[in-house]
Amino acid sequence: MRIELMVNGDPVSRLVEGSESLLDLLRNDLGLVGTKWGCLTGDCGACTVLVNSEPVVSCLKACAQLDGSTVTTIEGLTPTHGLSDLQQAFVDHFATQCGFCTPGMIMAAEALVNSGVPADEAAIREGLSGNLCRCTGYNKIVDAVMSVIEQRNA
Amino acid sequence: MVEVLIPGTLAEALGMLADREGAVPLAGGTDVLLDMRTGRSDPTVLVDMSRLDGLRGVGIDGDLVTIGAMTSIRTIERDAELAARSTAVPEAAHVLGSVQIRVMATLGGNLCHATPSAEMPPPLLVHGAEVDIAGPDGGRTVPLADLFAGPGATTLDPGELVAAVRYPAPSNLGSCYLRQTVRWSMDLAGVGVAASVAVDGDRITTATVALGAVAPTPFVVGGVADLMADDPWDPERAGEAGRMAAAASSPISDARGSADYRCSVVAALVPRALGIAYRRAIGGWPVGRFSPTNGLVEEPA
Ligand code: FES
Ligand code: FES
Repeated sequence: MRIELMVNGDPVSRLVEGSESLLDLLRNDLGLVGTKWGCLTGDCGACTVLVNSEPVVSCLKACAQLDGSTVTTIEGLTPTHGLSDLQQAFVDHFATQCGFCTPGMIMAAEALVNSGVPADEAAIREGLSGNLCRCTGYNKIVDAVMSVIEQRNA
Repeated sequence: MVEVLIPGTLAEALGMLADREGAVPLAGGTDVLLDMRTGRSDPTVLVDMSRLDGLRGVGIDGDLVTIGAMTSIRTIERDAELAARSTAVPEAAHVLGSVQIRVMATLGGNLCHATPSAEMPPPLLVHGAEVDIAGPDGGRTVPLADLFAGPGATTLDPGELVAAVRYPAPSNLGSCYLRQTVRWSMDLAGVGVAASVAVDGDRITTATVALGAVAPTPFVVGGVADLMADDPWDPERAGEAGRMAAAASSPISDARGSADYRCSVVAALVPRALGIAYRRAIGGWPVGRFSPTNGLVEEPA
């Protein structure tokens, strides 16, 4: 079947089949390899993108359901020049080491910050609990997200 | 090749399920795609339910709550009205999976996948929920408990769909959902306990306990109302309800806990859940800070 959707502001029209996931479409077809291929079972969050502004694990999102949707990936979040405030905060707080979890983590954090979450450690940890990081120990990620919430609320 | 059919109405969806043998309804996809990927299922036709807007949303009419089968778990988690009237329901939604999973997963999918440890059945059972089933021969309504046939199995006939869940949520009723997990987040319940208590003043008129993850299907523990009703709160009897619930459990031993351990957890969590439900019923326990972002944030005891 054919689906038409917006990916990072660009119209995309593709033939997809039933078992094809949004992650397959993004990485294999559109070459948007910022979104990572982790567990493929919905557990790690490395494949997190925004669909209609809500965070989803793209590995379990059937393309066939996306006709008319708007998708934002880490590439779409990145300004033409420089970094977004969250990306810069991850750099400033050393919230990324190997970097594998980072795109998914930042997309989940973006949704969390946009949802108006308070600058509260427990709320941030809860909001990011679907994203695994094997390097940082999470504290620096929480610090980075906290700083952006404070900044945007200032 | 997996074919996907995209009906625009419930009638169309029922027609497609009737015409295509083995067609699987696709809701949020968090179970269907996972099962396809891990080889647990191999459907050739999926029927996408996501365009059936009539099956989506929360409706409250007087004391009656209706939740459409395609309502996301995230929507249930963040609904302040549901939190006030049937606290256990958003409380269970709040601990299911992760934000990403809750955005995708639906109530109908959670019920129809019939995982013994699923979060949503116990809280709905203690609210006396019924399910509206749509099928090729028209609709029928059954008590939620009758939907479950065993692990991964429902009593739905081929071609039938769950359309909505309904339950009464009177203001003299409090409810609570607690669970035991190995990990705090992104884990299935080792034990899921829901309790509801209805009161007249401070006197209990009825009490219900339902359990998940400790039997082939979620179930209501018999005899709790008889034990608790007609008197004010009695911690001894709540403890007895916990022992009854443990005796009624038949858990398996697995990575989330041994059968014995699970029974001990049931005995401990049931009185706690009943106590919170009772205090919510008499208005003496804050429902929790409700945050539209994070759902319920439990107040410390
Ligand atoms: S790759 Fe999608 S959650 Fe891990
Ligand atoms: S930085 Fe390596 S997994 Fe998070």
